[in-house]
Amino acid sequence: MLVFIIKLVLGITFIYASWHKIEDPAGFARIIYGYGIFPGASINLMAMTLPFIELVAGFSLIMGVYPRSALLIINALLAGFILVIGFNLLRGHQFDCGCFSIPSQGHAASNIFLLVRDVFLLGFGMVAWRFIRAS
Amino acid sequence: MTRKDVTGIFLLVSFALVTAFFYHSFLSPGMALQGQWDPDQGVVKAVPTRDADSSMEILNPDVVRQMVQKKEWIILDVRPGEIYDQGHLPHAVSFPLMAFDEALPQFLTSTQRSSDILVYCASIECTDSHTVAGRLKNLGYTSVKVFSGGFRQWQEKGYEIEKNED
Repeated sequence: MLVFIIKLVLGITFIYASWHKIEDPAGFARIIYGYGIFPGASINLMAMTLPFIELVAGFSLIMGVYPRSALLIINALLAGFILVIGFNLLRGHQFDCGCFSIPSQGHAASNIFLLVRDVFLLGFGMVAWRFIRAS
Repeated sequence: MTRKDVTGIFLLVSFALVTAFFYHSFLSPGMALQGQWDPDQGVVKAVPTRDADSSMEILNPDVVRQMVQKKEWIILDVRPGEIYDQGHLPHAVSFPLMAFDEALPQFLTSTQRSSDILVYCASIECTDSHTVAGRLKNLGYTSVKVFSGGFRQWQEKGYEIEKNED
């Protein structure tokens, strides 16, 4: 039951998070640029592909299609988000997470909150990993 | 991690990439594979800038300052009105992108299509000035330029700023 709920929470979170990014890839690209980490040549490609990886991983986790693989992808993405947000917080770089929506201006209210949220989600993901058996 | 997990990752990521390819190629084309993300080359944006847009851009703030000092250019500040009030380029007129349609009729009657128009917004990361400049060009204005660095660069240069006291 617990694993089912975790899968549902993670799956829906990733599907929901991918939606705005798919709708406005240029806005998402601007947010990736704002992180100040990724080389210019990679920004558009990331903005166009990352949301679809989130979407597919979210759906396949919920639907039970290669759930362990989907969970690995989701956990890896969460670990990546944590590293990137954490790195920018440490160096005091102002940025807009763009996790769920793409605001026209200004920065997310609290990037520390985002970091904590992702750490929690990754925690859930790791718990689920322990319980989803390899078949 | 088993062999099946690795296969699954490969299949899911491949499926996502193929879906992304079809989506951006056929369902919602418009994103270029490479964007313009180098501030030294002008306003940063997802679509390539080496198009008609980029020829409008003025990168050198000193050139913009000379234009402002000459007072021959109509300078449009397309940021929201309340931000304009807090500080703007000398002689700039508030012309928010959000209120473009409302402000347009008066602008059309008070200007000529050959008028020299300089548009700016917040910074090198802002494309609103391009949006307005593009619309004006479509309306037949022949001399429209964009100050790429926008208000932020003007401010960083320490140039004169006008404020609307309330």
